[in-house]
Amino acid sequence: MRHVSKIRIMVFAAATAATTIIAAGCTTSAPLRTDASTSGIRAAEEAGATEVPQASLHLQLAKEELERANALAAKDEKEQAVSMLARAEADAELAVLLSREETEKSEAKAAVERVRQLRQDNKFAVVTNNPYPKGVSNENE
Amino acid sequence: MKTNNNILVFTACAGLFISCAATVPTELVNAREAYRRASTGVAARTAPAEVHVANQALAKAERSFQEKSDSFETRDLAYVAERKAQMAEATASITIEQENQAKAKNDYQATQGKIIAKTNQDLSKTRTALAASEQSGEMAAVQLSAEQEARAAAEKQAVDAQAALAKLAAVKEEPRGMVITLSGSVLFASNQTTLLPEALARLDQVADVLLTTRERNLTIEGHTDSQGSDSSNLTLSQARADAVRNYLVQRGYEADLIRSNGLGEGNPVADNGNAEGRANNRRVEIVVESKMYTLNQ
Repeated sequence: MRHVSKIRIMVFAAATAATTIIAAGCTTSAPLRTDASTSGIRAAEEAGATEVPQASLHLQLAKEELERANALAAKDEKEQAVSMLARAEADAELAVLLSREETEKSEAKAAVERVRQLRQDNKFAVVTNNPYPKGVSNENE
Repeated sequence: MKTNNNILVFTACAGLFISCAATVPTELVNAREAYRRASTGVAARTAPAEVHVANQALAKAERSFQEKSDSFETRDLAYVAERKAQMAEATASITIEQENQAKAKNDYQATQGKIIAKTNQDLSKTRTALAASEQSGEMAAVQLSAEQEARAAAEKQAVDAQAALAKLAAVKEEPRGMVITLSGSVLFASNQTTLLPEALARLDQVADVLLTTRERNLTIEGHTDSQGSDSSNLTLSQARADAVRNYLVQRGYEADLIRSNGLGEGNPVADNGNAEGRANNRRVEIVVESKMYTLNQ
C-alpha cells in the first residue's frame, strides 16, 4: 500500500515537471499579447476618459501597467507580464465605463433641466407641481 | 501522545492563520471592500450580472491567496477583482442615469402634450370670444347706423319744419330756442281774448308744423303794447297766451309740454310811440325750446 503511494507520487511529480517545462517553453517562445490592453486604452481615450478625472486616472494606470507588462516581458518574466496585462485591461475597461457614466449623467441632467425649463416657461399650462425645481436634479447618486 | 499531536496541529493551524492574516495583500483587502460595497448597494439590483462577474473574480483571487499566499498572481487577481466590482458600480450608475433620462424625456413629452392641449383650448376660447365680439360689433354697427339715420331724419324734419314756419310767421333762433312770432292783430280783435276765425287758419298751419316735432316743450308768451294799465295788459296777455295754448292742445299737442305766460307790456320789440310799433308789440310768441322738459317737473 505504502509502495503504491510512492509510485503515484513519483508519476505525479514527473507529469508536473513535464508540464512545467512545456509551459515554460511555450511562455518563452510566445510573444506577449497586448492587443486587448491597447485596444482597451484606445477605447477609453475615444470615450473621452481624458476629460473625466476619475476615468483619466484609470486610463493612466492602464498605460503604466501596459508599460510594466512590456518591461517584464522584456526581462523574460512572462507570467508576471501576462498577469500585469490583466490589470491594464481592467483599468482600461473601467476608464471606458467611468467616461460613459459621466456622459450619461450629463445627458440626464440636461434632460431634467429641459423639463424644468419647459415647465418654467409654460406655468400657465402646467398647473401640476414641478418635480424639477431649479438646481435640484433627480439623480440617484 | 494523542494530546501532544492535537496541540501540535492546533499550534500549526494557529500559526498558519496568523501568518496568513498578517500577509493579506492590500489589493485583496481593497477587492473585498469593493465587492462588499457593490453587492450591498444599488449595483446588486441594477447590475446583477456585473456583480456576479466581480464575485467570480474575487473568488479567484481568494483561491489564489489560499494557494499562493501573497504572490504577484494573488495581488493582480485581487486588483482585477476590485476593478470588476468598481465596473459593476459604474454600470449600475449608467443604468440609473439612463432611467433618469428616459423618465425626463417622458415627462418632457407629457408636459409638451399638456401645453399643446392648453394652448389649443385657449385658442378655441379666443376664437369663440373673437367671433362673439365680431358679431356684437356688427350688431352695434347696425344699431349705430339706425340711430344715425333716425337722427338725420329728425334733423331734416326740424329743418323742414323751420322752413315751413318761416313762411307762416316770423321765426328767429334765440338761446332759449326757436321763437315764432304771431302778430296780435292777426289773432285777436282789439282788447279781446278770443281767437279770430282767420287766426284759426293761421294757427292750424303753425300747429301742423309743431305737431311734427311734438316732443319739444313750448312756451306761449303773450305781449301787449303800452296802452292801458300794466295789470290789465298782464291779464290780457295771459288770457291771449292761454287761448293760443288751448287751441294747440285742442289740435293734439301734449298739454304737459305747453305752458303759457302773460308778459304784458314789459317786453316791447318796437316803439310804442307810433301805431306801427304798437302793432308789432301786440304779439304772441311761441318759443319752441331746444331742451326738453315737462311742466310737471
